[in-house]
Amino acid sequence: MKNGREVVIAGVGLTRFNSYDGQKDDRPYKEFYDLGSEAILDALDSAGMAWTDIEAAFCGSVYSGTASGHQTIENVGMTGIPIVNVENACSSSSSAFRLAYQMVAAGVYDIAIAVGFEKMPRGFIQSTSWPEWQRFMGFNVQPAAYAMQTVRYMEETGATEEDFARVTVKNRNNGVLNPKARMQKPVTLEEVLESRMIAKPLRLLNACPLADGGSAVILCSRDKLKNKAKTVTIAASILTSGTYGHVYGGGSVKIKTPETIQYSAQKAFEMAGLGPKDVDVVQAYDTMSSGELWDLEELGFCGKGEAPHLLREGHFDLNGRLPVNTDGGLMSRGHPLGATGLAQIIEIYYQLRDEAGPRQVANAKVGLAHAMGAGPNSGIVILKR
Amino acid sequence: MGDKQQIPVRDNLWRITPNGPRLIGSKCSACGELYFPKKDNGVCSYCQSRRLEEAVFSKRGKVYSCTCVMQRPPVYYKGEVPYAIGFVELPEGIRIETLFTDCDIEDLHVGMSVEMVISKLHEDEAGNEVIAYMFRPTKA
Repeated sequence: MKNGREVVIAGVGLTRFNSYDGQKDDRPYKEFYDLGSEAILDALDSAGMAWTDIEAAFCGSVYSGTASGHQTIENVGMTGIPIVNVENACSSSSSAFRLAYQMVAAGVYDIAIAVGFEKMPRGFIQSTSWPEWQRFMGFNVQPAAYAMQTVRYMEETGATEEDFARVTVKNRNNGVLNPKARMQKPVTLEEVLESRMIAKPLRLLNACPLADGGSAVILCSRDKLKNKAKTVTIAASILTSGTYGHVYGGGSVKIKTPETIQYSAQKAFEMAGLGPKDVDVVQAYDTMSSGELWDLEELGFCGKGEAPHLLREGHFDLNGRLPVNTDGGLMSRGHPLGATGLAQIIEIYYQLRDEAGPRQVANAKVGLAHAMGAGPNSGIVILKR
Repeated sequence: MGDKQQIPVRDNLWRITPNGPRLIGSKCSACGELYFPKKDNGVCSYCQSRRLEEAVFSKRGKVYSCTCVMQRPPVYYKGEVPYAIGFVELPEGIRIETLFTDCDIEDLHVGMSVEMVISKLHEDEAGNEVIAYMFRPTKA
């Protein structure tokens, strides 16, 4: 795999993540295409570009149906550019970002946009990623799949329910400082530990909330950049869609290949010419709060089983050595599947440009965003200033 | 007429052997890799050989991981809620995802000895019994 020419971020756009069901004054009814096109317009303003500058669009969504990117872009203007819809579970817009990146890196286009949007279905997510017979047996419950991984993590590392609750508390504290987050109120350790059980040992407040939202990032070659201050460069964009023998704990017991997250991290750091120690800020994957802990370990930021201890010491806090999920993560921001990957990248962009306001990390020069998805998919983006 | 039939939730998950029902899968005769369920295309996903043979798995194993689902999943599952699912590790070296039955779900834990049984999953619209493999704690 060749790296191609340098690609930079020209501008970003992000809606507030919320429930856009029209039930309250602060949450008007909006469709996925309203949210996606709102993010596109914000990204254009941020880049100082016109829609006619954009040469190609890659749109990530999971539940929006056929030609959802086209419906979104029609809201802004059809200019004859190619629109490609990307469904890659929770890594959809991270995958869309990578396609836009590759096109600009290869010199096919000079300016491309990646867009993510989702109007979430409510309740347990009906996932078709399990065969029908397994759905009859009740296996098709994403929180249960996470719970079983969590039980193994506890068995192998000694991590406790309190450690997972502490992840929620940290991320919800960060969310208080993010006006775009769905959840902007803190929670206590006790509230998490007393919340309703969903799939033992995971409780309601260990799970990220549903949300609707839109996100967009414009990528370009350096010479096309209009807003040249504090330029953010894409150091790596990687997608690993599963490695053999790691299927949520099932299958052969003999480990034969590196674990999916480890493998994608290794490739991302190699591409960037950087290592975990060079990273100043991380957006890790916290659909379930326990997942943030092993994610940090698999990404190489600490050894196996070390994350709970580091968390307790404040290592991952906003003012810690390696701040994680500075915008509140999925836990506060909410999780509109198709919009999440780009929202993580956008937070890193704000941090590297000193635009993160009260949640700004001092002197952040390199940041990493990780979007895991069913399949599995592991999308990693490393940005540098 | 009127006799209710027993219908497996999926064909070829288990087979009746002289020792009772056993889960069946595939074993690669080139690299030894195991699969459950049996792979219909005959290809080993690890070494890509086309030489898979049938594997018959042991009745007993140990709980590798487990959880208790507290809320009814959409559409398909029609059994009781809460219910317990997990992975059971069999001595051949494979982990099988399963429902647990005949057990106190609060008592279920990693390392527990369990055995496979064929049990009723639910009744379909025609009144037939849909059956599936499940694991239960082995009687001491």
